[in-house]
Amino acid sequence: MFPQVSLAQPSREDVERLMAWLDDEEVNTSWYGMGDDGRPLHAGYDPARVLGQDEREWERVFSDENRKVFAVYSSDGEHIGEAQLVIEWPLLEAQAFILVGRKDLWHHHYGTMAMVSLLDHAFDDMGLHRIWVDVPEYNRPALTMVEHIGFVMEGHFRKAHRRGDQWFDSYALGLLADEYGRRRSRLLESNP
Amino acid sequence: MAVITINGPLGAGAVSVGQMVASSLEINFYDRLVFTQAARLVGSPVGALIAKEQRVDRFRDRLGRFLQTMLERSAMSGVSGEPYFGRGIENLPPETFMEMMGEGASANKPLDDKTFLEATEKVVNDIYEGGNAVIIGRGANAILEGRPNTFHIGLIAPLEVRVQTLMERENYTREEAENYGAELEQAHENYFRRFFNYNPNDPTHYHMMLNMGRMTPQKAADIIVNATGDIVAGSPAAATT
Repeated sequence: MFPQVSLAQPSREDVERLMAWLDDEEVNTSWYGMGDDGRPLHAGYDPARVLGQDEREWERVFSDENRKVFAVYSSDGEHIGEAQLVIEWPLLEAQAFILVGRKDLWHHHYGTMAMVSLLDHAFDDMGLHRIWVDVPEYNRPALTMVEHIGFVMEGHFRKAHRRGDQWFDSYALGLLADEYGRRRSRLLESNP
Repeated sequence: MAVITINGPLGAGAVSVGQMVASSLEINFYDRLVFTQAARLVGSPVGALIAKEQRVDRFRDRLGRFLQTMLERSAMSGVSGEPYFGRGIENLPPETFMEMMGEGASANKPLDDKTFLEATEKVVNDIYEGGNAVIIGRGANAILEGRPNTFHIGLIAPLEVRVQTLMERENYTREEAENYGAELEQAHENYFRRFFNYNPNDPTHYHMMLNMGRMTPQKAADIIVNATGDIVAGSPAAATT
């Protein structure tokens, strides 16, 4: 059975937990690594900065029509990660990001179901046409996960992703709205 | 600086073979990204471009679009003797009818052929200028035909191979896979004829054609990798062989 997850508007407590997850080397190594300032990098916003700002800044980050940020919750109400969509409305497409911060839940299909929830929202509620992901070669579990969901390899770039002083290959995979329904059914009918 | 194009009907294995070739030669790989980049250039959802390549334009589809356009125009203009047909089909000038049926240019069409072709050519030419790439389909072999340092591969495969691929990849029943495969094959041919005046099944357009009913994708990739050094001067394979 696949686990159940849900998406919610992030709270300040959620962002504090996210910061703690990113401080873990194993988590940030599989994510964006460390910045030049020695702090872990995150996609789209700086958790420490946004927590230190007023409500207006919070609203700017978490009510942005072009970047939707969600806290990911398990069925027992535990905050387990974060999902994002960076949307290009004229193209009706978005880049998806999934981070499962709880390491004890890695490899238990929580990332898969967080992505499925994100895709359901993107295609069914937001009416988007294409969702894509950019996966560096060192994140093999993520590559396996998105291929299992039904993302299609659209391109592969040599040494396009930098982490620290090393360069890695980057995989661009995409999924169209009209491809998703059939592949979603096949995924959820499969034995994880 | 090798740019390898691989073209073939859906389910023949072009994507698998292309990924293996790119991986072996350590060069970039472009499949649907050609259209997603072109979509970015023209500011349209990629589906508008994919439709150009994959849609079989049946009369009933055109009729459906025509009726939808009629309804939209009726609603927008507020001119309506009959609520579903606006000012009346009989009063439309013939050229408007042809435009709405998809037979000619129309502002209602999300993406015209010229814009589509220019954007696709731009993306393919940019990839070519960058060199060291495998490009799957999208007319890249036609766009780059005769250009130096290119290696054009055509794939063929028996219907059974293509049907099996579609059943495994898309979870289709055999009947669905056969119908969908036949439809897309027709669309593939139409795409080449319409935009490049070109028969994609003509072997004279390729350096090499491979029958995927007689070899595995890995074997096909190995053949292409080995031949690349001989065909393309300055290719990664040429440098290592």
